[in-house]
Amino acid sequence: MNAAAGRLGKVILGGYFWLMVVFLYVPLVVLVVFAFNDAYIPALPLSGFTTKWFHAAFANTDLTGALKRSAWLALLNGIAASLLGLLAALAVTGRRLFLRSVWTTLLLLPLVVPYIVLAIGMVIVIHELGYQASLAAVLAGHIVISLPYSLLVIVPRLRTLDESIVEAARDLGADTVRAFVLVTLPLIVPALISSALICFTISFDEFAIASFLAPPSSPTYPVFLYSGTRTPALEPQVIALGAIVVTFSIALVVAADVGRRVMERRLAS
Amino acid sequence: MRAGRGFLIVPPVVIVLAVMVAPIVLIALYSVDVKTNLPFTPTKFTWSMWKDFLPPSEGKFPNPFWHRFEVSMVITVVVSLVAVAAAYPLAYFLAFGARRSRYTLLLLMLAPFFTSYLLRVIAWKIMLSNNGVINTAIWDLHLRSHGDGVPWLIYSKFSVGLVLFYSWVPFVAVPIFVLLDRLDTHLLEAAQDLGAGRLATFFRVTLPLSLPGVIAGFVFVLIPTTGEFITPLLVGGPGSQMFGNSIQSFFQDTPNWNYGAVLALWLVAVVFVMLLVFGRFLATDLREANS
Repeated sequence: MNAAAGRLGKVILGGYFWLMVVFLYVPLVVLVVFAFNDAYIPALPLSGFTTKWFHAAFANTDLTGALKRSAWLALLNGIAASLLGLLAALAVTGRRLFLRSVWTTLLLLPLVVPYIVLAIGMVIVIHELGYQASLAAVLAGHIVISLPYSLLVIVPRLRTLDESIVEAARDLGADTVRAFVLVTLPLIVPALISSALICFTISFDEFAIASFLAPPSSPTYPVFLYSGTRTPALEPQVIALGAIVVTFSIALVVAADVGRRVMERRLAS
Repeated sequence: MRAGRGFLIVPPVVIVLAVMVAPIVLIALYSVDVKTNLPFTPTKFTWSMWKDFLPPSEGKFPNPFWHRFEVSMVITVVVSLVAVAAAYPLAYFLAFGARRSRYTLLLLMLAPFFTSYLLRVIAWKIMLSNNGVINTAIWDLHLRSHGDGVPWLIYSKFSVGLVLFYSWVPFVAVPIFVLLDRLDTHLLEAAQDLGAGRLATFFRVTLPLSLPGVIAGFVFVLIPTTGEFITPLLVGGPGSQMFGNSIQSFFQDTPNWNYGAVLALWLVAVVFVMLLVFGRFLATDLREANS
């Protein structure tokens, strides 16, 4: 410790760290504060406390409709991307796989291909096939951008599994599928759940692909948020909804981490 | 498992081929005019749009979209460098100054990163805009006369750079923290026993050993920011739109899919070159995460 920083150095570093934390949280706090501010335009000084924007937001069926649409889309994406990720993870961790590194690279590529390119590419494909933009296309796009994350969560978990217990199940007469369902699957359930949560979030927040592929009559919630920022009358509702979503996601991140620690402590003792 | 399970790779690979690879192939065909979305327009292979876009341009002025690419890359590289420089002390504090609370503080720092990206940009727009939180606060304090907003606060390269920096800085600290946290502190003590001061120890031992994390962090911002278009859309002005916005405009505002395809494919090529140059730093990161 002493070798890395002196007493003064540590104080300066600590001060800098806390300043950055303030910088990181200020926009989120602003969102929450102005969600309760009694004015159409978010500006200082504050104009008094109100909860009317929350009522207005939840009375706005365009907004709640978009929210529901995104929730369904995200749920389907969480399930589909995690299942496909599980299939891919089982294949790449298997003993033999032809062209293993090619497939792994291909499945990880969506991490680096810009979403805007993916979006316009899908617009072109849909045009060439003679289809219309649809939420199904948005889902397909979301599955592909979520797959790498699912793979990166599930593969390390599969690698830590002791293959000998699967072999023991097989020696005791279980076939491949039974051994997988009874032995492997229960052990990777935590990884599958975190994969599903991550993929849910990716889809729920995704704007680029949805803005190109969601039909104008059925926007997803981020697409609605974006159009809301261009309509002054809608802006307070956007802020109110944003405050809820931000608070909820921070609570979720903290809860997930606390839960993980409690479980680890139990396993350790 | 004794039975092969390699066939399970088929469904995920098929969907990636259909939704990512096939579109990129079609983009390539559009970029050389072999295909087009315009009805009743004959198609014929030509490099003309590529020649028009890539320098040296034939006209007196550089191609406006090439110029946009250059501006965009400057923003991207500056943001990435500043983010790495700002993230390093954060990681250093977490690794060496935070002791037992390091993982709690890491979570505190990272939590905003896990909230909606679009919402964070919207929050910045509320703060930076002309009648927004920062300007009205300045008027309230009588630092500037009422109605006279700070001109570069929004719709400028500053606002685009600031918001991109804000979005990525906590994430950049992660790979640097991972390396610093694993650093054997005996090495630092050894250096100091041999007469090096703290500064010399940092520059000759700590920094070189954490360099792979620094480069990984740099690439973590560089690659996604290269294709960025959401932040400039919300807080950028006409002069601070990025290359992604040029691509977007060819598919939404002034449709010309064929020219837009040239820009899109160029963007993919640039990202792939970045990946070839820096990929091994990311690969070590993944391999270590797996082991």
